[in-house]
Amino acid sequence: MAAYIVRRLLWVIVLLFVITLITFIIFTVLPAADPALLRAGRQPSPELVASIRKQFGLSDPKYEQFFRYVGQILPFVNAKGDQDSFLKINFGYSFQSNTLVLPEIISRMGPTIMLTAGAVVLWLLIGIPIGMISAIKTGSWLDRLTMGIALIAISAPVYFLGLVALFLFDDDIGRFPILPGSGAYGDATSFAGKCGALIMPWFVLAASFAAVYARFLRGNLIDTLQEDYIRTARAKGLSERRVIFRHGVRSAITPIVTLLGLDIGILLGGAILTETVFNIQGIGRYAYEAIVRFDLPVIQGTVLFGAFFIVTMSLIVDILYAFIDPRVRY
Amino acid sequence: MRRSPKWTLFLGALLVLALGVAACGGSSGGSSESGTSQGTPAKGKQGGKLISLWAGDVDFIDPGETYYQMGTQINRATQKMLYTPQVDDATKPLPDLAESDPQISSDGCTVTVKIKQGVKFSPPVNRVVTSKDVKYAIERGFFNTVNNGYAGAYFGDLKGAKVGVKPGTTISGITTPDSNTVVFNLKPRKAGKCTGGVLAGALSMPLSAPVPKDYAAKFDAKNPSAYGANQVATGPYMIKNDASGKAVGYKAGKSITLVRNPNWDKSKDQRPAYVDEIDIQEGNTDTTVSSRKILSGNSMISGDSTPPPSVLRTAVTRQKDQLQLVPSGGGRWISLNTTMKPFDNENVRKAIIAGFDRDALVKTRGGSTVGDVPTHLIPPGLQGFNEAGGMKGPGDDFMSHPTGDMQLAADYLNKAKAEGVPVSNGKYSGGQTFLMVGDSDGVGADTAAVAKENFAKLGFNVKLRQVAHDAMYTKFCNVPSAKVAICPNVGWLKDFANPQTYLDPTFNGANILPQGNSNWSQFDNKEINKQMDDAKTLTDPQQISQAWGTIDKNLTAMAPTISWIWDKNANIESKNVQGVIDQDNGLWALAYTSLK
Repeated sequence: MAAYIVRRLLWVIVLLFVITLITFIIFTVLPAADPALLRAGRQPSPELVASIRKQFGLSDPKYEQFFRYVGQILPFVNAKGDQDSFLKINFGYSFQSNTLVLPEIISRMGPTIMLTAGAVVLWLLIGIPIGMISAIKTGSWLDRLTMGIALIAISAPVYFLGLVALFLFDDDIGRFPILPGSGAYGDATSFAGKCGALIMPWFVLAASFAAVYARFLRGNLIDTLQEDYIRTARAKGLSERRVIFRHGVRSAITPIVTLLGLDIGILLGGAILTETVFNIQGIGRYAYEAIVRFDLPVIQGTVLFGAFFIVTMSLIVDILYAFIDPRVRY
Repeated sequence: MRRSPKWTLFLGALLVLALGVAACGGSSGGSSESGTSQGTPAKGKQGGKLISLWAGDVDFIDPGETYYQMGTQINRATQKMLYTPQVDDATKPLPDLAESDPQISSDGCTVTVKIKQGVKFSPPVNRVVTSKDVKYAIERGFFNTVNNGYAGAYFGDLKGAKVGVKPGTTISGITTPDSNTVVFNLKPRKAGKCTGGVLAGALSMPLSAPVPKDYAAKFDAKNPSAYGANQVATGPYMIKNDASGKAVGYKAGKSITLVRNPNWDKSKDQRPAYVDEIDIQEGNTDTTVSSRKILSGNSMISGDSTPPPSVLRTAVTRQKDQLQLVPSGGGRWISLNTTMKPFDNENVRKAIIAGFDRDALVKTRGGSTVGDVPTHLIPPGLQGFNEAGGMKGPGDDFMSHPTGDMQLAADYLNKAKAEGVPVSNGKYSGGQTFLMVGDSDGVGADTAAVAKENFAKLGFNVKLRQVAHDAMYTKFCNVPSAKVAICPNVGWLKDFANPQTYLDPTFNGANILPQGNSNWSQFDNKEINKQMDDAKTLTDPQQISQAWGTIDKNLTAMAPTISWIWDKNANIESKNVQGVIDQDNGLWALAYTSLK
């Protein structure tokens, strides 16, 4: 197991390097807009543009820019070691606000983690029971009703569902003003207040995930319940409850863990649409602003940060497999 | 200042479209300039907290770096620039930190400004402002850690000024004979004449707000300068800071909190500064949601975004007293590349303008509520507007038909035919395809589509390539070598009331740059260039207005571009807000607005 983890950790480093390289190529070698010109404003004399290029090292050869960037983001390596940087990791300065990127990302982790955690709990609490009930009661009106609702939830984009929720329940502009709405998270000063502000975003974000998980689990469980070993378990006289939960669900839920791990990783990298619709100042919103403003260091930083979470969660899932699936051994 | 582009982008448009409330033409409800507090601001109530909802952020928080509208709005609350536009008349600058009008020598080569005595910096500096602080403020705009976007354009003629110098480099052309006097010495441009008149106008821009060298130098030595995050104020408000001066009230992309500057002396300022605190809440990307919150809530005003057409229609009819429409001092046009055939032919350009349904273009943005179809180039709110003909215009026939006149277009095309341009049946018949590069998202995309239809109507085959807004500028329209024939989504906003800031960067042939070019039509007429260069050396406001009004008439007669809207900003406020508009910026004047 230890050797496997070490091997995977090394692989994580390689993956992050490749992602860094690809991001760098997309946004620095093949940029859609010139960051020096964007920063220079609308009367960019050649002297001003040249000065900005020099200021941010944009006139250096691309490979030099890349290795300088890699050097800055490696922990404890960055020679300049800005006093504000975490473990001497430096994602550079935002071209737009002159603020250090990493502290900004870290300051936005709180909202993103809270949003993700609450939504995960919700969609598991909603999706798994529905999936199980649908699988057990296949073809019943309950199955059809829940799967129909699931289909609607999957089909409704977050930005649409979010707006509908705001216009219905936002305490400022809603038809039934019962819940804190857009921008409420930033206004809240207490933990309870922040949780209150996240009720609507949690439900909106969880809706489609819960639907996907319910449908996924239903399909898996139906297949599993047809397996020979389930028939054997029933033939041995085990109670139906024990057959389903002990033998059926345990097997059917394993792929859900993979899905969950990756989904958490993706959301920790930023739930862009939910954060944007509800004006939650998380990592996703930061990434969105950066893309809109073509702020390269922020785009690179948020992509790398998101990738880090995805590969880390993937590693955790693989390790968890050894515990939840007896067939898996490392 | 170019308007901040961030709020217009794809998500907002997507959300609005999803609800089925976007686009669909303009408001026919008729525009109204009415609202509260238009004109001379009424007296307001002291105290309270004002909340401003923004979609995005300032371009830069540092007064020495910011160039766009929102940064200027903040600086007009937190800083004392040497001069400031009168809040209800943008064409009249008032002394702010300055004690009186600038003294400009007859040759325009020396500008002398006396500053008020006893104005103090906010904590932690707490000392009196001197002329040296003004000198340093302008010098740091040229530092390679600051790289101000307009320092070169308006202060570049100062003796010894050079863009991109090391922090600490001084400018010999700025002298301070005593602690209350700043003298600007300029290099002559031609025949011993200098651009002191232009420089004097630029002294109302945030770069002229004093910066204490003894405090700021250590921040300016960093790359990029950290002064913005540690700035001090001289205006009635300051960004909330801690004991060390760190601007903790500025959270990039999240919020800006302005509190009262304890060192501000009301007797030395024209701003009433009614409210105690101003909270700017950013990230309100969905303008439908934010507009409704403002209109139905309390103590809120709009910031960097215009209400969407659906909300605007309602506001115009039902909440008129919560809406103010004001000319932005800017306009938009469709550039025709005058270096390419047949757009190098004046009659072809006149034909296109004559036949274009410019009213349909205005409708893509929300109709007459958000702007007027121009009759010439200089927009309302600038010096020279009336001299160029005002709203009625100078009377050029091809500019007189907002919905297009196909017969007039055919007449001009037939004139062009006589000059060798291929024309058949009153339509262009050259057969080639012209590259048009426009916005891929938002209302800009709609404008581009309508423009394409209008070109087709006149016989021009246009290939429309739609890209992201920034890429449209930096990769295509701003780069002459990209050989783009038509740019349908370009526009300009004045920097200050001098029309030089509007016409010179956009139509002077000397300003055609290989990159970052804003003369999108690449219009290069020697006579016009000369008239502009001469006008830049004028110092008397009346002469400036007259000269640029004449240039506008001459330019308009040459049809350099399809000017299709003079923008209006739509600003909304909550019922309990007594908003006052800054006519220069087209936005709420934070230091004049109060709660009822």
